Amino acid sequence: MGDMDSVELLETKFSRRTFIKGVIAVGATATATSQFLGRPGIAGAQTMAGSAARLITLRVNDQDRPVDVLPNETLAMTLRYRLNLTGTKLGCDRAECGACTVLVDGVNQYSCSMLTHQVRGRAVTTIEGLQNPDTGELSTVQQAVLEEGGFQCAFCAPGFIMSMTAMIDDNPNPTREEAAHALSGNLCRCCDYDKILTCAMRAAELARSV
Amino acid sequence: MAEKLIGTDIAPPDLIAKITGRAKYSEDFRADNMAFAKILASPMPHARVRRVDASRALALPGVLGILRAEDVPQRDGPREAVLTDEPHYEGEPILAIAAETEQIAAAAIELIDIDFEPLPFVIDPLESLRPGGPNAYSGGNLFSDDAWSEIKWTAEDFAEIDAGRMPNAEAVVEWSKGDVSAAFAASDLILDEVIVHQSLSHHPMEPRSNMAYWENGKLFAHVSTQSAQRTKYAMAGMLDMDPEDIVLVAEYCGGGFGSKISGSTIMALPAFFSRKINRPIMHRVTRAEENYIGRARPGFQSWLKMGFLSSGKCNAIDLYLVEEAGAYGSGDNGTAGMVADLTYTPQNMRFRAVSIYTNTPPKAAQRGPGGAQIISMMEPILDKAGRELGIDRLEMRMINAPDADVSFGPRDSQLTSVHAKEALRMGAEMFDWAGKQSLSGQRVGSKVSGIGIGLSPYTAGSRGFDGLMLISPEDGKLHVHQGIGNLGTHSIADTARPAAEILGLNWDQVEIVWGNSSRGMPRSSVQAGSQTTHAHTRANHAAAMDARRKIQEVAARTLGGAANAYRMDNGVVTGPGGRMTFAQIAARAIELGGEYDGHTLPDDIHETTVPAATGLAGKGLMGVAKDNYGGEGGIYSWVAGFAHVELDVETGVVEIKEYVGITDCGTVIHPRSLGAQVLGGSIQGMGMAMTQRWVFDPQYGVPFAKRLYTARPPGILDVPPNMSWGAVGIADPQSPVGAKGIGEPPVGAGAAALTTAVADAMGGKCLCRTPLTPDIILAELEGRTRAHGRLDMHVG
Amino acid sequence: MAIIRDMIPDFDLFQPASVDDALALLAEHGREAWVLAGGLDSYDWFKDRIKRPKVVVDLGGVAELNGIREVEGGLEIGAMTTLTEIVRDARVRSQYPLLADAAEHVATPQIRNQGTLGGNAAQDTRCWYYRSGWPCYRAGGNTCYASAPKAMNREHCIIGRSRCVAVNPSDTAPALIALDAKMIVRNERRPNVYDAEDFFIGPSTDITRMTVMKPGDLLTQIHIPAAWANANFYYEKIRDRGSWDFQLVSVAAAFQVSGGTISGARIAVNGVAPYPLRLEAVERMVIGTEGDEAVATEAGELSVLGARPLRHNDYKIPMMRNLVRRAIRSAV
Repeated sequence: MGDMDSVELLETKFSRRTFIKGVIAVGATATATSQFLGRPGIAGAQTMAGSAARLITLRVNDQDRPVDVLPNETLAMTLRYRLNLTGTKLGCDRAECGACTVLVDGVNQYSCSMLTHQVRGRAVTTIEGLQNPDTGELSTVQQAVLEEGGFQCAFCAPGFIMSMTAMIDDNPNPTREEAAHALSGNLCRCCDYDKILTCAMRAAELARSV
Repeated sequence: MAEKLIGTDIAPPDLIAKITGRAKYSEDFRADNMAFAKILASPMPHARVRRVDASRALALPGVLGILRAEDVPQRDGPREAVLTDEPHYEGEPILAIAAETEQIAAAAIELIDIDFEPLPFVIDPLESLRPGGPNAYSGGNLFSDDAWSEIKWTAEDFAEIDAGRMPNAEAVVEWSKGDVSAAFAASDLILDEVIVHQSLSHHPMEPRSNMAYWENGKLFAHVSTQSAQRTKYAMAGMLDMDPEDIVLVAEYCGGGFGSKISGSTIMALPAFFSRKINRPIMHRVTRAEENYIGRARPGFQSWLKMGFLSSGKCNAIDLYLVEEAGAYGSGDNGTAGMVADLTYTPQNMRFRAVSIYTNTPPKAAQRGPGGAQIISMMEPILDKAGRELGIDRLEMRMINAPDADVSFGPRDSQLTSVHAKEALRMGAEMFDWAGKQSLSGQRVGSKVSGIGIGLSPYTAGSRGFDGLMLISPEDGKLHVHQGIGNLGTHSIADTARPAAEILGLNWDQVEIVWGNSSRGMPRSSVQAGSQTTHAHTRANHAAAMDARRKIQEVAARTLGGAANAYRMDNGVVTGPGGRMTFAQIAARAIELGGEYDGHTLPDDIHETTVPAATGLAGKGLMGVAKDNYGGEGGIYSWVAGFAHVELDVETGVVEIKEYVGITDCGTVIHPRSLGAQVLGGSIQGMGMAMTQRWVFDPQYGVPFAKRLYTARPPGILDVPPNMSWGAVGIADPQSPVGAKGIGEPPVGAGAAALTTAVADAMGGKCLCRTPLTPDIILAELEGRTRAHGRLDMHVG
Repeated sequence: MAIIRDMIPDFDLFQPASVDDALALLAEHGREAWVLAGGLDSYDWFKDRIKRPKVVVDLGGVAELNGIREVEGGLEIGAMTTLTEIVRDARVRSQYPLLADAAEHVATPQIRNQGTLGGNAAQDTRCWYYRSGWPCYRAGGNTCYASAPKAMNREHCIIGRSRCVAVNPSDTAPALIALDAKMIVRNERRPNVYDAEDFFIGPSTDITRMTVMKPGDLLTQIHIPAAWANANFYYEKIRDRGSWDFQLVSVAAAFQVSGGTISGARIAVNGVAPYPLRLEAVERMVIGTEGDEAVATEAGELSVLGARPLRHNDYKIPMMRNLVRRAIRSAV
């Protein structure tokens, strides 16, 4: 068990923060006073007293989207059922398949397994946000997938494409092995892994040539 | 000249939608005022609902209604209903609640006071066959001629089984050919094995969520289904309504693998519920629910006796399969027997099987149903014979694989074409089979190499469906109406390519119309059993030939000269009287009417094509025809799979180092897509053999491997980062296009390449069980007692 | 009450910005509060509607729990530091690659991008009887379903059973023990420092908890002492699939070597007991040896002395024995 030396060592570290006791008030609170939840579009009208904290603004695909979000609501549900961004898929809802993968501040994460209230003030990118909204130009990864004829049923495609997007940003010159590791949080039940890796390698190649 | 389309890579027309998130799967649709359904699932493997009190649930604000078994059709016997008061497996839907939100619906389910009477259950078919053993149904364990009965084996049968021998027990299915006992007497080598193949869930990426609403008496159903046209009729049957009052939307399907062939029973739930409470209903199916209602491949407990001559020729097979039929039955065993006979051509074979109802989730075809299991089980036994006879394992397959004159099965079936040996030869070369022999059993550190080979056939086509297409006066393009489904095989596009070639069109002059029944779908095969590539290249070929004749006649009637003197290329018809564009031809066809624009239809098209064609009449030049090309014999494709694995003898972990899959599937329509089918199907087979699990607690009869991380379908790190494929590419002579299907056969090849490679790494020791997980491999290598009996099921 | 395993039940969500605020909230709400780190264990419990806290305290906004700092005598890692940050940290990689290696074996990239070191270490067991909501000892009931004669217990323990036979699923836990990490746990009253091996507890100590932490407690920092920096490390995890899988058995080891002999050793195994298991007898045995094949073999045998398999997990005995052997072989 902990010897006193390290306790003292650590206490001196804590003390700076421990002694600056701010107000006990918390950073943010969202309460579940109402179980009844309106549908998108009429949510405001049906919002009940006490749930004002649920009205938040999300930064999604470079747009500010005001939205009424329950405290226990996952980002995937908010995207799909309130913001109508149905490109983000729910394959398992349990952080196991990767179909719901989005980028949060550029990092690939499972949107089924994070609370929407956790991404306030952060940039969320979904599959719908990759294509240039003005020119219609596909993103590098999308272009690569198009060229290589990627995916079969493609239910996993949005999630894989988001992970590939994070991958080429992080490692623009991967081997196929490295690409497989980078994409190992996404499942494809058609098992089109060989072609998916070919798409990923092509995406990296395109990214390097830009 | 228009481009050559058959045999080239193209981007499927729906790919942009798929990669931008615009592709809409059934859970992506929204309707005004849409409500959400949740189901209450059975917590027991077999029970009867004694009492339901939903008053507290219905009083919850936001709850809109309840749907009970009494609200949906019920049928006697082992026939699945949307909801039931006598569930026959854990997870079977009992009732549903609709509410304004999913949160409320879930909370309401918890407020339901429900009382079950537990009933006897069985999850292992052998347990049900024991004298006095439990039955999955109150009426028995066997259902035929619309009545329940019991089949029980004798104590003597089980004494044989316990001694590790094939019982001479009563079978339900039995056939034989040749003189089996004489053949065994003549065999130089007889192998006698007990083999278990696990059951395993399909787990497509997209759970079978569905949404439906009614408008003016019409049902709008957004369904997750493999097929389209046929699903509309399945839905109409379930709701007992006029099919023409259904608009079925199934543009995309996130995988089915046999589990959503004509949709599934649960797809009717939103339709029934919506009709009852007059609100659009979305039923989002969870992954755990998908495990329950989403179907599984049936496992086999089996005894196999194989006789061989010293030449390596298999001359006799005696195969007995016990099939785990789940709550609603399964018929994989029949195909398994056929595939065994076809692959090893013994000439003398006895096949026996019983398919026993169990209280486990419903079974259904899963990619290569019956065939994949039996190939995965039998290929290591063929290898064992090769070892004992001193014959190379590739050679064993060359000796036993069929030639064009094969006749197999109880009715001496023939094949349209077979090039299995060419696939083996091509694969052996690409894999360097001869060179790799030195790797077999080679140990480096703790890792021992194994080399495997699997040859897998499966049916790959059907005949006699309809094609329907229209040349539009507005854009002059060919609009090919597809009634098949869109589950990722790209066949909605690829089966249209022969039509484009016949009409001299470039690919950008072709529009594929699919996924919405209101746009007109011809009678189509189900998108299953590798049928569509063969069936619908033929049907579209026939309809395109019809369109071609009509284009020539319209041109001749307009410009003069003989019809057959007109040639078409790039959307322009040219002949003695001059030239016309396809748009002009289409406009002229409408003026001429009659058969040209579909006001008169051929007599022989299917009755369900007629409303679709009639709806398109007058909108352009119509090509519509039945596939009357005919043919004799079964249409089968083959895949030969070759694998190199490394087995770590200190951990039991198997790493796949290399895989090559070669197919004989006739003419190659779309190489890149074909490669994806060959390798993807092979990997599914690898998952079946190695990683995927199906685990039940035998005392409580409930499953545990019901999530993805516990069911363990293979991931991207479970296979080599580079895999290879090839195709023999010899046209099937009985199709004008020459293409055969490919979906099914790779699964058995991938699985068997691994079951044989692992056995090779273990010095020829066949564990005769799947999945080959590290625990059972290590226990065997370490000489420890097995954790389970030879015939235990559901232990994953 | 009928059962449905879908949708997170209602809770009030608090997102404090400081440790003090978080501790105050935990003290105020006691047993009704749930600490949310990366959440990847929590959401399962919530969506299965088995754990139903009234209050969830999300630590995501507490900046002081994030990051890796060099301190006198080692590294101090905030409990909310993500596994990806640990995998990529240059100091961790160069001096304590064992921890980076273990962290990289967790689940998938997305989970490592979100999951935290504290959360990974403190996660609950994956026994499927328990996680299916069955009323077992660990869930407050009075039986263990997984040790029943016909039970499916391939993943369960071979050592340290005490009514419960579940195993600790953490990949980083054995590495923390091998590195002699100190776990700093705070509550409203005072901080406590635990050696990693004491942080994890077995069912004989408290069958409902995996760690020493009680309601009101918060794991704030993990201290990696410099004593084991740049040691010879070994990490291996055996699993059924290459990603998203818990260990069947894993081993983490640190060796100090001088003059060709092992002068110091810390070895831990996970997946074999309800807690990550430090192998002190093996450590004592190998110190002073050259860690050759004979020593490795003997060490492997010693490690599994007294192991008692359940019906389906006898294989874990040779698997553990062999992993320990491999670790010793790598030492010098």
